[in-house]
Amino acid sequence: MGANRHLRLGIFAIAALGASVGLIRAQNDISLQFHAFQDTRGVTVLTPDVDLTRDLTDRSSLRVKFGVDAITSASDSCVRCHPGGEHDRRITGSAAFTQKVGAARFSIGGEIGDEHWYGSTALIASASRDFNGANTTVAGGFSYAINHPVRHPSDDQIERNTAKDGYVSLTQTLSPTTALQVGYEIARIDGFQTNVFLRAQVNDELLVGNHPDTRTRHTIMARVRQALPADTFLEADYRRYHDTWAIDSNALTLGLSHRFSAPFLASVGYRYYDQSGVFFYQPSYIGSPQYFTADFRLIPFGSGLYSGRLEFSPKNGVVGLAPGSALTLEYERYRADTGFQAAIFSAGLRIPF
Amino acid sequence: MTRCGSLLLVLFVATASLAGCATVQPWQRGRLADRCMQFDPDTGRVTYMTHWQESREGSSGGFGVQGGGCGCK
Repeated sequence: MGANRHLRLGIFAIAALGASVGLIRAQNDISLQFHAFQDTRGVTVLTPDVDLTRDLTDRSSLRVKFGVDAITSASDSCVRCHPGGEHDRRITGSAAFTQKVGAARFSIGGEIGDEHWYGSTALIASASRDFNGANTTVAGGFSYAINHPVRHPSDDQIERNTAKDGYVSLTQTLSPTTALQVGYEIARIDGFQTNVFLRAQVNDELLVGNHPDTRTRHTIMARVRQALPADTFLEADYRRYHDTWAIDSNALTLGLSHRFSAPFLASVGYRYYDQSGVFFYQPSYIGSPQYFTADFRLIPFGSGLYSGRLEFSPKNGVVGLAPGSALTLEYERYRADTGFQAAIFSAGLRIPF
Repeated sequence: MTRCGSLLLVLFVATASLAGCATVQPWQRGRLADRCMQFDPDTGRVTYMTHWQESREGSSGGFGVQGGGCGCK
């Protein structure tokens, strides 16, 4: 019932915002996206999203987003108790207001997420400012989230954790064809963080894990965009991560895009990823360990992600739609050295109005 | 984290020091204005991508503050 109410509220908010179009002349945008995810565990997730951005005045705008994850799973965690598979639905909604003041831009918003065994509410604020003739941009942000995991399979043992997250970034134009961005993010999570679904083997018994109650995450990143001759573009992103559970990870993404004749943009990409395991990870446990886990996200592994993307944006708009509209199709293939694989298909339609 | 902090400091100082010598004028920004040259031009795509990657990997973040996450397992 709660999920249906959120669904109606989300649709109403977007409809109300859309209905106000025409009150002012502005650059507005609606983006419709559909994602389909399927992995080798038998999990299928279908995700339709609606994202609406609307200028309120020439210096302020409002963004509303609404999405659903329809999950059909028979994952290795669920299948022990639900051989025929299990279903869940996650609904997310967010809104953000942005105001420009001189060369600065301030944004404040919130996000809610609702699913059967998890709920979250977050407040998000960010600011950015241009310097040096708009060749340099400094940005920063902060979010505070209150989350409520529920101990599966109960419906009433509701736990709680809070997450505080801050970041700063610096974007610098290096030449007429090169841009660089570096950033740092720190997040601290306090409270219940155990995976409520996965059971670890402890003294030949299968028990829900026990994770530490605090975790601090540090991330640095560097990104480069380089325009090459003949309407070709190179992108390179690197991210280094460390946390107090002893996970260290590297993620390197390389992508190449090329414009074939005016309306077609084709992109290919590859993402390399590796991580170490948490300090308390073991395949199985004996004795009385303080912390134990069966969470597949906390073990050491490496992975590769291949992606291909095609964007169609004709000058006069996609068949009958407004000029500036674009249709995007994307396919991604994820392979981890644990044997896990996933395929992701995405379709998107962006319509200015 | 000291090593990470040092690396971050070096990155910031290096980038900040480049700021003074960047003289890209507005009329030279044709290619910089292309969507392919923007960082995260499609926020919906980035949000979805980071969401499913976080449901499979132990690390997250680096590209701006995040919301409350999910119970996806």
